[in-house]
Amino acid sequence: MKINNPAKAGSLESNDIFVMVFPNENGNEIELESIVIKQFGKRIREVIEETLKELNVENAKIIAKDRGALDYTIKARVETAIRRAM
Amino acid sequence: MEFRFLMDFEKHLVDEFLKGIGLELEKDVDETLCCFEDGEIIGTCSYSKNVIKCFGIKEEYRGEGLASSLITKIQNRMFDKGIYEYFVFTLEKNVQIFKSLGFKEVARADSVVLLEGGTSDVNRYLLNMLKASGIDVSKKRAALVVNCNPFTLGHLYLIERAAKENQEVIVFVVEEDRSAFPTDIRFNLVKLGCRHLKNVTVIKGGRYIISSNTFPSYFLRKKDDKLSIYTKLDATIFGMYIAKIFNINRRYVGTEPYCDVTNEYNKTMLNILPNYGVEVCLVERLIKDGRAVSASIVRSLLKEDKLNEVEKLVPQITYDFLKTEEGKRIIENIKRRDLPH
Repeated sequence: MKINNPAKAGSLESNDIFVMVFPNENGNEIELESIVIKQFGKRIREVIEETLKELNVENAKIIAKDRGALDYTIKARVETAIRRAM
Repeated sequence: MEFRFLMDFEKHLVDEFLKGIGLELEKDVDETLCCFEDGEIIGTCSYSKNVIKCFGIKEEYRGEGLASSLITKIQNRMFDKGIYEYFVFTLEKNVQIFKSLGFKEVARADSVVLLEGGTSDVNRYLLNMLKASGIDVSKKRAALVVNCNPFTLGHLYLIERAAKENQEVIVFVVEEDRSAFPTDIRFNLVKLGCRHLKNVTVIKGGRYIISSNTFPSYFLRKKDDKLSIYTKLDATIFGMYIAKIFNINRRYVGTEPYCDVTNEYNKTMLNILPNYGVEVCLVERLIKDGRAVSASIVRSLLKEDKLNEVEKLVPQITYDFLKTEEGKRIIENIKRRDLPH
């Protein structure tokens, strides 16, 4: 799936994540900020990467600002942002 | 609770609301978002270009997550307008609110903190700038920041002096396009005018050197406070990030006989930059016919239609440009308007 334009999904409310997607030239790139980066940073990154893989995305720059979202929220937000970016 | 963007004719309500909590609605905001409860404003947030500002929440509604709703909504709006990188100025006591919403601190001066959000990242931005410039950072170098509105013999004198006293020199030309001479013209005149100096690299200053993105005119009431904080933030960002990334150990500045803003800026640099290992070299201005050569003098001569007097104060390249069609157009503009810079 090819990213054509910038798009976003989610919010900065508690328990949500704000995901921005941009076209990227050299593969996928993820920039993550989270209020629980020490505890769950690695896991959040994994969920984002898995979601990108499932959707066959190979040229996305993802900027995510997390406020304690659960895995399925993260997945849903990333997927929505990607579909909006197509 | 209802959120909506206000029409211009309603904006005085926001101003009244903000005044009630010690702030005000600035004139330059592009859009203003408000949160209402029973028809009454309980929170608001605006943006002007890519700066989020005039943010306030009624005392009794604080701490309930209203800030995150307001910031999310304003961010969405900015995103839809193609603004992906933005800044916010806030007081130290409110920093945590913005940090928890994904903003990153850039620098602080006195009690004011500059944060950036969205895709903005000072280190990445400067590293890209460095890469694009092709500068070799293994060598220490001296730096100058110039607006050159337009490029005069005074600027050239200062740059030549730095070039003589240092192995390598970098000249940052202010990129913000708010001067009588457009950025590209200012930049090209400096670049061409320094061609003979082999150890001088001229590049555009980008977003973190004297730009309106990083100018706080928010919640700082007195004009002199504002100026002092602005100059401190700028000098701190230069020391913390630019000097570090570009391996700069000296900054050259000319003494300023006419402009208070520049004078204050020089004083601040002398105080702040040495903390970051940058020596400030204050050079006496070039004097010609008994007066210091400065771009503001050149502009006032242009205003009075004294192009022949300007010839003595600017390098040939600037003088040649002033005689082109484009140059004439700019002179006409200067005659009609009163710009500080």
